[in-house]
Amino acid sequence: MAPGSRTPAEAVEHYRGRTARLLACLTNEHVVVSAYHTADPPHQLELSDLAKLRAPHPLRLSVGEHYEAREEADGWRVEIVGYNYAIEHEGGDLVSYHWHPTGESPITWPHMHVSTDIHVGERWFGKVHLPTGVVSLERVVALAITELGAKPLREDWERLIAEAADR
Amino acid sequence: MATRTDNQVRELNPEEWAQRVDEQARKYLGMSGEEFERRLRAGEIDIDDSPAVTRLAMMLPPNGTRK
Repeated sequence: MAPGSRTPAEAVEHYRGRTARLLACLTNEHVVVSAYHTADPPHQLELSDLAKLRAPHPLRLSVGEHYEAREEADGWRVEIVGYNYAIEHEGGDLVSYHWHPTGESPITWPHMHVSTDIHVGERWFGKVHLPTGVVSLERVVALAITELGAKPLREDWERLIAEAADR
Repeated sequence: MATRTDNQVRELNPEEWAQRVDEQARKYLGMSGEEFERRLRAGEIDIDDSPAVTRLAMMLPPNGTRK
């Protein structure tokens, strides 16, 4: 694991850069972040818009994260405290990973939704919150490339996924 | 294939962030950002209603207050 940072601001800068490099594996959309110095945590990071992926079929990626800088034994690190990672296919959600522990929803644990026509009784399965552990953005990027046919925009995408995982 | 292209990171102040929420709400949901936030907080809109709703909900201040 990479060492922690000396200050929270440094940890946030590392996180922002690492995440921007990771997303550059799939898209040229820029990344927007809420101002770190003028806002209370958690802070926000997102892709600026839905990102059309380079693939033989219409895939789009949506990314939003909430994060905090926390002090640990070896220094400051950024912890993800909420997210929305979604891959769309032909204009609808294919799979989405959500974690919104604060807010109005009673579903506070990490979960996923899958696109499906299945109904369980009267309940549409696509609305069912399928429990997951905390899912990392690098696994979603890897999913898009290795399983769903998205073409990586960078030759070093495997290194960048490993870099993101080593935090 | 480019090998060294990093995506630009753009930091938005609270006013710019609110403007972005408003633009995205109008673009994807046909309502203002303020209306979207009010209806979401009131439970009239469920965060899982659509991909756009989830995305917009995650753009709102996580602790429910404007920064």
